[in-house]
Amino acid sequence: MLAFGKSAGGHGYEERSMSEDLTQASDAALVVAIGRWRQDALAEAYRRHAGAVYGLAVRVLADRAMAEEIVQEVFLRLWDHPDRYDAERGSLRSFLLATCHGRSVDLVRSESARRAREEREHRQQAEAGYDLEHEVWDVIVAEDVRTALDQLPEGEREAIELAYFGGHTYRRVALMLDVPEGTVKTRIRSGLKRLRAGLAESGVRT
Amino acid sequence: MTHDEVQDLLGAYALDAVDDDERALVEDHLAECPRCRAEVHDHREVAALLAHGGQDAPEGIWDRIVGSLEEAPPALRLAPMAIPDPTADGTTSTGVNPLSASRRAPRRVVAALAAAAAVAIVAVLGVQVRQQNEQIDDLQVALDDPLSAAYSSALTDPASKVIELTSADGATRLRGALADDGVGYLRADELPELPDDRTYQLWGAAGDELVSLGVLGADPGIVSFPAAAYELFAITEEAAPGVVTSANPPVVAGSTA
Repeated sequence: MLAFGKSAGGHGYEERSMSEDLTQASDAALVVAIGRWRQDALAEAYRRHAGAVYGLAVRVLADRAMAEEIVQEVFLRLWDHPDRYDAERGSLRSFLLATCHGRSVDLVRSESARRAREEREHRQQAEAGYDLEHEVWDVIVAEDVRTALDQLPEGEREAIELAYFGGHTYRRVALMLDVPEGTVKTRIRSGLKRLRAGLAESGVRT
Repeated sequence: MTHDEVQDLLGAYALDAVDDDERALVEDHLAECPRCRAEVHDHREVAALLAHGGQDAPEGIWDRIVGSLEEAPPALRLAPMAIPDPTADGTTSTGVNPLSASRRAPRRVVAALAAAAAVAIVAVLGVQVRQQNEQIDDLQVALDDPLSAAYSSALTDPASKVIELTSADGATRLRGALADDGVGYLRADELPELPDDRTYQLWGAAGDELVSLGVLGADPGIVSFPAAAYELFAITEEAAPGVVTSANPPVVAGSTA
């Protein structure tokens, strides 16, 4: 077994050519650097995206300690398997969030007691509507996202929120909303497409 | 599940809102349907915009991440290279020079790779490298090398496949064998010795994946490598200690005859 450890990046050409300004590097370049055991590249990816990952995990899990575990897991996975991110297929953020969401949902569904609690919370949340105003990261994008959400038919918005933030399957969402399963499937898909179109119209890159 | 049935599920699938059975069915379909894959990615981009919490992650998580990294450093991790598309200008001067018997497969591989040049496919693979004293001649290398016996038996076993890697001008030919148990052996001692700050690196391709099979050092002897998943092999020259992706043309390339 050939030892080819992290210290390899500490000297020589990689150091010179890559560390100059990681804050200016593209996400794709960061992932390549992570593949070369560049801890500072992982740190930069963390700086850019950990807040969003944590925010989503907290939202789905309603539990800060578990959300922290998920954040740790998501970035360790990126460190161990940077190959799983394909820059041609989407942004690093959406990749990390998809990983985060999948794991969060697994946890939610594996803890039935928690699920019962979540259902109550998320039903209330869905009824109250999704308020992005308190969660502004970039005022303009947040505005646009809110506008696009507001323009969705009520049923579509509700289905997306219960599935995505509630961590429920579309079958459960159908039960919760008392509509046919097929309707929920369709609403989620058409709602996402409508959101994308709406966001594209207002110039948000998706 | 038909294409249409899968399509109906793509929104729910992208939000992890399908059960395990459906997920498996959708993923089977996604593996062969680029259009549906693209749709899932679109949905996830939209979801990512909805997700943003606009807050920082709590302090302390990063320290725990760094702590975990130091507990379990990776042993070896390498990735594919991007190789120039030799079909782009109708010449093969910079590309792979496969054996005539297997020309078709490598072309397909190379074209797919050129399209996916930015993709970083990384694998964790072990490779045994035996570096030899430059002064020993080829024969002695083969005899003295600790891998010599395994190499010889792989080469003589009727169940193994012979590989030959050649340079573009045909001047350098490396022979090897892929044993029945998936281990490949290659006699790389014919490669000219490199300066200390350079190294040879071995790559394997299967389908559109190109994966580093190991850093061979500046003056390799017999090398062994995990070969089971690969059809095409190439060696490049890189700056030591090796690279994750390479844009260099292969020094030698070839596949099973």
